Amino acid sequence: MYVLVALGMLAVLVRVFQIQVIEGDEWRKKSENLTIDYRTIDAVRGNIYALDGSLLATSVPKYEVRFDPNADAVTNDFFNSNIDSLAWCLADLFKDRSPASYKSELINARNKKKRYYLIRRNVKFTQLKAMREFPIFRRGKYKGGFITVQQNKRQRPFRVLASRTIGYDRENGARVGLEAAYRKQLAGISGKRLEKKIAGGTWMPLSDSDDIEPQDGYDLVTTIDINIQDVAEAALMRQLVEQQAEYGCVVLMEVGTGEIRAIANLSKGADGSYKERYNYAIGAATEPGSTIKLASWMALLEDGYVDLDDKIQTGNGKHVFYKTTMYDSHEGGFGEITVKEAFAKSSNIAVATTVDKYYKSEPQKFINHLYGMRLNKKLGVEITGEGMPYIKSSNDSTWSGLSLPWISHGYELQLTPLQLLTFYNAVANDGRMMKPMFAKSITNYGDVMEEFEPVVLKESIASKETIKKARIMLEAVVTEGTAKNLKNASFSIAGKTGTAQISKGSTGYKVKSYQASFCGYFPADKPLYSCIVVVNAPSKNVYYGNLVAGPIFKEIANKVYSTSIGAHEELVVTKSTSSRPRIPISKNGDYDDLASVYTKLKVPFTVRENAQWVAVSTGTDSVAVRPKRYVENLVPNVVGMDVEDAIYLLENKGVKVEIEGRGVVIGQSVNPGILIQGRGFKIKLSLS
Amino acid sequence: MVDKLFKYLGGDRSIWVVVMFQALLSLLLVYSSIVTLAYKYQGGNTFYYVIKHGGFVLSGFVIIYLVHRVNYRYFSRIAQFLVWFVIPLLLLTLVTGNDINNAKRWLTIPIINQSFQTSDLAKIALIMYIARFLAIKKDALNDYGGTFIPVMGVILLVVGLILPANLSTALVLFMLSMMLLFMAGVSIRNLLSVIPVGLAALVLVIAVYKVSPDTFPRFKTWEARIERFGSDEPNPNGNYQADQAKIAIATGGLFGKGPGNSTQRNFLPSSFSDFIYAIVIEEYGMIGGIGMVFLYMILLYRSLKIVQKAKGSFAANLVLGLSFGLVIQGLINMMVNVNLLPVTGQTLPLVSMGGTSMWFTSIALGIILSVSRTIEEQEKEVKDVVEPKHGRKFEKA
Repeated sequence: MYVLVALGMLAVLVRVFQIQVIEGDEWRKKSENLTIDYRTIDAVRGNIYALDGSLLATSVPKYEVRFDPNADAVTNDFFNSNIDSLAWCLADLFKDRSPASYKSELINARNKKKRYYLIRRNVKFTQLKAMREFPIFRRGKYKGGFITVQQNKRQRPFRVLASRTIGYDRENGARVGLEAAYRKQLAGISGKRLEKKIAGGTWMPLSDSDDIEPQDGYDLVTTIDINIQDVAEAALMRQLVEQQAEYGCVVLMEVGTGEIRAIANLSKGADGSYKERYNYAIGAATEPGSTIKLASWMALLEDGYVDLDDKIQTGNGKHVFYKTTMYDSHEGGFGEITVKEAFAKSSNIAVATTVDKYYKSEPQKFINHLYGMRLNKKLGVEITGEGMPYIKSSNDSTWSGLSLPWISHGYELQLTPLQLLTFYNAVANDGRMMKPMFAKSITNYGDVMEEFEPVVLKESIASKETIKKARIMLEAVVTEGTAKNLKNASFSIAGKTGTAQISKGSTGYKVKSYQASFCGYFPADKPLYSCIVVVNAPSKNVYYGNLVAGPIFKEIANKVYSTSIGAHEELVVTKSTSSRPRIPISKNGDYDDLASVYTKLKVPFTVRENAQWVAVSTGTDSVAVRPKRYVENLVPNVVGMDVEDAIYLLENKGVKVEIEGRGVVIGQSVNPGILIQGRGFKIKLSLS
Repeated sequence: MVDKLFKYLGGDRSIWVVVMFQALLSLLLVYSSIVTLAYKYQGGNTFYYVIKHGGFVLSGFVIIYLVHRVNYRYFSRIAQFLVWFVIPLLLLTLVTGNDINNAKRWLTIPIINQSFQTSDLAKIALIMYIARFLAIKKDALNDYGGTFIPVMGVILLVVGLILPANLSTALVLFMLSMMLLFMAGVSIRNLLSVIPVGLAALVLVIAVYKVSPDTFPRFKTWEARIERFGSDEPNPNGNYQADQAKIAIATGGLFGKGPGNSTQRNFLPSSFSDFIYAIVIEEYGMIGGIGMVFLYMILLYRSLKIVQKAKGSFAANLVLGLSFGLVIQGLINMMVNVNLLPVTGQTLPLVSMGGTSMWFTSIALGIILSVSRTIEEQEKEVKDVVEPKHGRKFEKA
């Protein structure tokens, strides 16, 4: 008997040897296909907020819901007795297919021994919550085969607004803007979870809970004011389209702190549309043109060479420096004018001859004044890609007799719009130069973790006396000079126009192209905000700073002034009910969303039938809500819908959506009812 | 130190060493292979299971110690009524037992609320009963009506009650009983006479199953397991456990992946119980696999030594039955693991995690050691008498 047992044991060992050595390779190969590993789970990235708390960028969790119809605990009896109600619940929640179609799909999946069957992608959290209560699913992962995979999608609710400044942080390493600058704080700490590789290379979590919980990223509160940003972007867009310009940018800064309230950059694409493609305000160092004359005159004032009322002979508008002729824009010249007038009317000859006269013998003294105004140094903003300012020294190899007069009116030197604005802002701020600020604070669930304080770049860029005179000159530009079109009844603007001829690539200055700009601040007597507008290469033969850039400046200033509390007296609110608007017009879309808005605003509405997607028609005293039915695989009618709902609806059907414009959908490139085929099915929506 | 320890541990030292070694291995293996279960039910807390298992191992030792202090003659008394206590218990299990995987094997002890497999208890009870019965009737073993029929009746009754829920345990117990009868000297002719009875019973069971399949809910599982084992065609889903076990064995190599480094534990269901031998080989290699076999062979060899020395047939039969029971169970587990037998739920005694069945294993070992201790003490007495120390001759006599 003992021998018998011993033989059995020997058989076991022989078999082990057989499996290990003879069949070994086969089994080891098989093992490679089975893998289990700790996989990182991304932490939810922090939000980026505007100053007022509006969301600029957020990570929206979207869920992928899968089902294991062959989970051990899902027995035949259990499955069969619950499948009808599960199918009904799914059809009721998504309203895209009939219960019968869900049922046959699930039964099919079970029969095919599927273990990771896709129920739906892009499931919203509210829907997920509902699904957790469904029959079968409510038993959870192991007993009910209910599998969810969370994915976080970065979204910018205001889409194009300040998008380049908000930026992105992509997996491939491409990083831009504030997302890149504050990625450490925003990113959070990723967690780990045990996952199993299943057929098709998909990873499936092995347990419901994570092994190392990810720590969500902190939120970033920016200095951006979403309302001003909206106005700035819209005003810039309108003017760029009208002038068919190459690109343009607008930056609005709070004088006292350097906080950036708005920053818009738009450039023309190959298709002629304008989008945020590059952060020109921060990155593009160009020849500023006339706006630099402020610095030149300030240098002369600082050294006491001139005063505002000194007379300067500008002649007939032509002046020859070493065989090169300089022109004033005014036909026939300005003749003899005061310094103040020369600045206001932007005479090139006045500033060039005066600078040349006093600094010819020691040009570095003039350059040192510009250096003293901190125009030659980077601002050091946290957003990467800041353009390098360029102001050459007088012992530079390229220095010539023309350098001094040309630098004095804005050529042979380069500055970015933001650097120039920072300089103007310092003038408005009584000489104190503030560093542009984009970030206000880092918060975590509302608790402030880190507060950013304004940074002074230079305590004083010039004497008080010079600053005072500089501001008188800047005011004169609007009251009597080149920017009279910016004059305003309720508050005054001070600033300087700039119309720089720009060199275009290899053609140099031969093909005439201009960069129109306006840089200034308001209200002139008690500056609150400074602002720069740059429009590059307007192509409609209008290129003067006051005409191209000025209107944008004015529109933004008006908006900011009218909305900033304390800048003006409060309006008396008219309380008569007759003037009250009727029921607000609403867009078609998600029923739950609309219903909660109506309830909150106490708008009476009537519902004929419950549905997820509804169309609304606004009557005189109530809103009628009708259900909209969408058939799977057919293009739905999204005209009249809010863009977010339209995109959600379309993307859920696997359609790629391109949008043009903003607001409500007014047109769709593919007609409703067309069959959606293939993965790359695209549709273009025009909005208004 | 070692001597000091064994001052308190009577009986065969080799068996004690084997038991300790296996318990230690068991802790390591369970700690490693429990990962998936821990993730499923305890949020990744493997310690919950290790502490629980450690508790069973420790209490197992206490049981072995306590049982081995008992004079084995008392077991003869217990054997008298234990089997009559077990039979209604088995019946109760079949009717009201806790249903796990369609198998009603478990009964919850009221008050302490600990469930256990009644078949574990039945095994010990039946072996004790046979050992006692054969010892009493040792002079009339081949009395067909007086000895064979009564003992066979009890065997068939117990086995028959285990069978509906646990085919493999029933078969093992039946074979073990037959073996005991054979080694005690019951003639083969008598033993073979059971075959027609067994066949008749089998036909009856199959007939009942065909008429009302619900009477034997486990039948489907058996059918499937045997079919899967028998067929050679590759089945993508079918032979999952066996394939995973083979992968574990194949990737283990000669020296294994090292303690705690198993990867197959994540794919092999019941890697901490039914398929623990595959994990032994995966983590400790061919060397570990051979070692495990040797541990059981030592256990069996030492037990047979006890049987040889045992005076009186009850002790010999008892040790024979219990030790073969343990080792054959282990052998079956290993054979299943290497795919020499179809998948069954036989655990590796003392090594697999399995709470209460560990207690019954401990009781069995305790009984074996109790016999061993008694024998050793008797030998010592004889020695003292024959070779007295320091010339104090015949003092005791």
